[in-house]
Amino acid sequence: MISMFKIPRSRKAQTEMIGLVVIVILITLGMLFAAQFALKESPQKKIFTRKGLSYSTMSTIMKTTVYEDNCKGDFKIKVNPQIGKDLLEDCARNLDYSPTGYSLYRCREVHSCVFLEEFITGLLNDTLGSWNKHYEFNAVLIQAAENEPTKLFDPPITAGGGCYKKERDSSGLFPIHTSAGLVQAELFLCD
Amino acid sequence: MKKAQIKMTETIAVLFIFFVLILFGIIFYYQYQKVSLVEKQQELVAARAMDTTLKVLFLPELICTKGEAEPEDNCFDMMKLRNVNKTFKEYLTRYYFNLFSYSRISVTEVYPGNSTFILYDKETPSKDNETRGWTHREPTYFVVALKDDLNGTAVSEYGLGYVVVEVYS
Repeated sequence: MISMFKIPRSRKAQTEMIGLVVIVILITLGMLFAAQFALKESPQKKIFTRKGLSYSTMSTIMKTTVYEDNCKGDFKIKVNPQIGKDLLEDCARNLDYSPTGYSLYRCREVHSCVFLEEFITGLLNDTLGSWNKHYEFNAVLIQAAENEPTKLFDPPITAGGGCYKKERDSSGLFPIHTSAGLVQAELFLCD
Repeated sequence: MKKAQIKMTETIAVLFIFFVLILFGIIFYYQYQKVSLVEKQQELVAARAMDTTLKVLFLPELICTKGEAEPEDNCFDMMKLRNVNKTFKEYLTRYYFNLFSYSRISVTEVYPGNSTFILYDKETPSKDNETRGWTHREPTYFVVALKDDLNGTAVSEYGLGYVVVEVYS
């Protein structure tokens, strides 16, 4: 009588297998969920804002006209200089005389490189800094292909420890051709 | 008989644990769905914020133009900016609401001046007129050049400012 209710050996093995399969399915589902969380992309808006903001900030800074004392240079027609077109070029041309020597523009009575560092720091602080964004502003002068680029601002203008080894977006390079060489400015924005 | 009872208790225990696991799964999935629904909602608001910001940045009523030349990107004309508020108010329901929906757009001058221009502000209406009709405001910032041709020189001069587009949700 007892032997009648006894489950045959092969059926028992099948039942065990089903249990195993259920466990495997559950583990797979769990791993799929985990992968979904892990591979989640950063929000699109974050990237859009970082990319767009770094480019717009850089292009605006380059265009900005400076209205400061003694800033109009030694020209017959006095015009207020622009950062990209006039001041960065002047800084690159007279980099060897920085910080106390000659420069064509003497905004706030200082060398154009010193003034630019102060002025750009102020502008970035009032915009990106006030929104708690971390950034790094670099500008280099490339004189010859074989030479190492010379940094116009050393150390670079930064906030929040800069963007070294962080997820960052760049404004792209803003090249300016000057008689001293090629000036390349770039702004990195990170979180 | 005793052996059969043990077997049955074992089966019941296994089934109980199985259903507990299923219950845990359902609770976890419910919580996940709840969070992802909120995330999706935030994503939609963020997408609306991006759309509105792009529309503002390329709005002909604000962007710097010079005759038939290409408009300058990331640049607002101060002359247009000083007078656009009137146009925005006049055509708010007929035109601008379709463009910007419930949002607030302002431009702040950082250099050389420090003035602020509120161009558009339409809050989500509240149901009882006492509380706010919105719970969240999603801001997007963009730095823009402010071109001023009223300085008396032949060369265009540019100030620096920023535009803030806040979307109500």
